[in-house]
Amino acid sequence: MNPSNLHVSLIETLSLIMVITSVAAVEIRRLKLSAIAYLCQALLMAGLLAAFGVMNPALYWWAGTALVTKAVLTPWFLFRFLRGRDDEELKPVIGLGPSVIVACLLMLGFFHLTHEQGTLLAPTETARLEVFRTNLAVASTVFALGLYAVLTRRDAFKTVVGVCLLENAVHLSLVSLAPELPETAVFGVATEVVVTVYLLLYVIGGVRQEFGTTDTFQLRELRR
Amino acid sequence: MVTETSVIPAVTFLLPLAAGALILFWKGIDRRLQQGLPILAAALVTAMGAWMARRVMGGVVLTTWSNELRVDGLSALMVIVIAIVALMASLYSVRYLRLGALIRRLGEASAERRTRVFYGLVLWFQGTMLWGCVTNNIVMLYVAIEATTLASSLLVAFYWDRRALEAGYKYLMLLTIGITFALFGCVLLYAAAAATRQLSGSSALLISEVRRVVPLMPAGTAAFAIAFLVIGFGTKAGIAPFHPWLPDAHAEAPTPISVLLSGVMIKMALYAMVRTVSIFYPSWHLVNTFLVALGVFSMLFGIVMAMSQDDLKRLLAYSSVSQMGYVLAGVGLGTYLGCYGGLYHLLNHALFKSMLFLCVGAVIHSTGARCISEVSGLRRRMPVTGSCFLLGALAIAGFPPLNGFWSKLTIYLALARGGLWWAAILAVATSVLTMAVMVRAGIRVFWGTLRTPVVPESDVREVPPSMWLPTAVLGALCLLLGLYPQAAYPLLDRAAAALATLGT
Repeated sequence: MNPSNLHVSLIETLSLIMVITSVAAVEIRRLKLSAIAYLCQALLMAGLLAAFGVMNPALYWWAGTALVTKAVLTPWFLFRFLRGRDDEELKPVIGLGPSVIVACLLMLGFFHLTHEQGTLLAPTETARLEVFRTNLAVASTVFALGLYAVLTRRDAFKTVVGVCLLENAVHLSLVSLAPELPETAVFGVATEVVVTVYLLLYVIGGVRQEFGTTDTFQLRELRR
Repeated sequence: MVTETSVIPAVTFLLPLAAGALILFWKGIDRRLQQGLPILAAALVTAMGAWMARRVMGGVVLTTWSNELRVDGLSALMVIVIAIVALMASLYSVRYLRLGALIRRLGEASAERRTRVFYGLVLWFQGTMLWGCVTNNIVMLYVAIEATTLASSLLVAFYWDRRALEAGYKYLMLLTIGITFALFGCVLLYAAAAATRQLSGSSALLISEVRRVVPLMPAGTAAFAIAFLVIGFGTKAGIAPFHPWLPDAHAEAPTPISVLLSGVMIKMALYAMVRTVSIFYPSWHLVNTFLVALGVFSMLFGIVMAMSQDDLKRLLAYSSVSQMGYVLAGVGLGTYLGCYGGLYHLLNHALFKSMLFLCVGAVIHSTGARCISEVSGLRRRMPVTGSCFLLGALAIAGFPPLNGFWSKLTIYLALARGGLWWAAILAVATSVLTMAVMVRAGIRVFWGTLRTPVVPESDVREVPPSMWLPTAVLGALCLLLGLYPQAAYPLLDRAAAALATLGT
């Protein structure tokens, strides 16, 4: 492990675009474009992992896993679900303006946390290096945005995009927190994400069939 | 403690997974084989669990694959609990899942396919739960627990109607989000353990090794890891306030799945929580007070919510939120007596809650109704079900000399001995409320004038033996553990010793 070989400016640029793609995936009202924003994020993530691979060659393997599971399989499921349905998202609880403000505040908050209170979230020496702190701040922001999407979007498809962001964030945080995690563990985590997305879309497909909508606010059968 | 290498811990979970794969991928498999394989697998796992328990009681810890799998007293207890409940649920499924009724509800082609998927996924559900209980790898613990959610999600949505789909969506979404927090916690724990430089290579992933270096971890990291683990695994364990998925999923799933969810799955998640969080007990005493407070909140909240339920399955589901609070309060205390009481209640709750769900399933099977206000006077037509329900209601309320009485008494004593009198008093008060809720439900459904809304009253009959027999066996076990509480002592003693890090 030699962090001095890292292309810091490249990593920081990719990290910043990661946050932008997260906001885009959550905020774009056209569902296909939202899925494309997610696909871009998945590609960026594979690129980020590969960029960290200079320091630890095992991360090239992680990048390959991320490429297959997040940039190929997951978008395939998302696009397949959208085939032949209305492309317009149901009106969310919170609109674009407040969401952008929330995203900025989250980003600032997590940058402050990882740089001022770094030991809380980053117990290893490597994770205290600037580039890894940035990585952790980005991962935390993407995680919070994923959670935000699940809580504020009415369209079930968007809640799945939110879950995808959550999982991407956890995967990204592993670079700072556990870069020496065995491949089997990474493979196990990545595989489960794909299966989760598949099953969620399968059940939402059933919901669409039975309720005639993917509006989560209409799921009130059990409250009667 | 002597360590012994054995292949049995691996076979314990690989066997149900392989049997499940056979059913799922062999499209032309005979229906009787579909029904028989889960029973056979559960029976074999019960036998293997008994063998492992005997070895563990002899002072041995079983390991496989370089300590990746590890079975101590606690793991052996969990394997036996899961296997027994799975065996009873599988036996019960044979008649409960009537093909004729399913064809009327789902259509012929769909019903045939769904029953095959049902039995296959039940085996995968069982296998993943067992995997979680024998793994010693902290990340694989997360993987196994998430796998239980994936294996069971289509079982929750099995009937594929509006209610089942809503429950299935909530179940999958909420548990996935919750368990992601647990993954963060597991990764933080691994990172903090690796950073101490006391553990070589991947041994920082092994829970049994991480335990040794906890005092060297930074306080802030430990606090974050504990919070993430409690939120993540607590969500899956149905601990209030992380429980919203539970009443919907437990109520809408077919009864054998409700039995597995309430009887064992939530306990397996609580096992994961205490297995990871208990390693912090000696260094962070505040964790114990926090867990006891969370447990007490859960027990009170659950029973208050149960009081207003008319749907029998929802009532039992909220009661599970409450009873899991007792288990958490006991094991969260960290003392030997607390852990013993908590684990004893975990075992007892698995028995009587499974039995109560089987009774409600029998009521639904015979009358087509599941609300308390819809039926009454079933006792004469369904004597075994009625007796078992009353037995379960008294046991869950902690009525002497049934098994629930002894485990609850142990928890009260442990709380009082730990100086947490407030918690002990609230636990006793919750038991009184539980008695009122459960016995009232039993009396209203089984006593009084016979009344059924769907099936003509003259057609109401006791369920067939393959359904009442598993219920009666669980009832007999409740009685046995009540009259001879020492029967479970040798294994519970080992299990409690594995968790108790704060003395007696």
